[in-house]
Amino acid sequence: MTALQQALVQLGEYSERLSRVSARTFQNPYTALDWPDALDSGADWFTSPELLSLHGTGYLDELKEPERRLLSFLEAANFYSLNIHGEKGLISGLAARLYRPDLLDVADYLHHFLDEENKHSLYFGGFCTRYAKVYRSRQVAVGNDLPRDIEDFLFFAKTMVFEEVVDHYNRVQSLDARLHPLARFINDNHHRDETRHLVFGRAVVSALWLAADWDTATRADLGAQLTEFLLASWREYYNPDVYADFGLADPWAVAEAAWASQAQQRHRRQASARCLGFLVSLGVLPKEVPDAL
Amino acid sequence: MRSELRSFVLGKARVPRRPEDLTDQTPLLTDGWLRSVHLPELLLLMERLRGTPIDVENLKAGDFRDIDTLMARFGPAARLDTVSGLDTVSGLDTAP
Repeated sequence: MTALQQALVQLGEYSERLSRVSARTFQNPYTALDWPDALDSGADWFTSPELLSLHGTGYLDELKEPERRLLSFLEAANFYSLNIHGEKGLISGLAARLYRPDLLDVADYLHHFLDEENKHSLYFGGFCTRYAKVYRSRQVAVGNDLPRDIEDFLFFAKTMVFEEVVDHYNRVQSLDARLHPLARFINDNHHRDETRHLVFGRAVVSALWLAADWDTATRADLGAQLTEFLLASWREYYNPDVYADFGLADPWAVAEAAWASQAQQRHRRQASARCLGFLVSLGVLPKEVPDAL
Repeated sequence: MRSELRSFVLGKARVPRRPEDLTDQTPLLTDGWLRSVHLPELLLLMERLRGTPIDVENLKAGDFRDIDTLMARFGPAARLDTVSGLDTVSGLDTAP
């Protein structure tokens, strides 16, 4: 029995319960939302002002409110784009595990997981292609030849890290009455499904970590890889392409300055706190917050 | 650009390594100096240094083989070949 299979057997009851909730809340993404014909990007908020990547950096000080709202529109498109790119990898990884002989017992929940991720991408993609564009990702897939138990752990742990950070934005924005109703809907809808995915992800990651027979060096290396992944994920929130579209000169310098600002560092640490706290409590990461975060 | 790339790679080494072991022909990914997770930050750095975007659609591991390859593929001499032609959002290309 593989480590993942062992882990998932322990999660049998969990995954059955999650499957029942997924079936009960099953949604048709083609009828659940009436897409407006057009959006006025300077008239409404599409990202909570406090979640703008330039918040607290000084770049916003001279801007009038319509300009800030325009930036919030572009940053929403970037947030949805990075979700699209993240979910492409997630869908691919879930599909690769679907009906794997050692995972037959959880195939039902993997189907729900895949279905829900696909629907999220329809909403994110629907916004970007109707009103803005899909911003590119700089993540490049290069082949790895890892043992299966390591690959499984990294897949589920990276998925969890990515979704924990995204969910911080979803939770805050689903409750923000200043946002355009479409932005609130997309964030709220994502948050509702992610709540189940995060429960599943934390349980799988815990079980895999505890069941594995990796030595200390391997465990330290896995922790380092997750830290690097968290940092790389955060970098995508500071996208020079957004700043260029907004009309800022030298968008790469803006991205670097925003990344390095104390206000944004505080924000990243706050938004990552739940995820880091979980990984520290499990022993995957050391107690100290990474300097670069 | 070459020296900035070298500093970047040395800064990402997982375990302390001797700077003299990193040459312009040292395999960066296969020798473990870099991992795929470092590539987004590396691409950002190269875009910033050359002042133009890099087309990320067709990148492959071989493009990041070593510092010589990075210079040939993404350095100043390669700029005209690798600009992605990024679109601005329709109707939003006016500076605020």
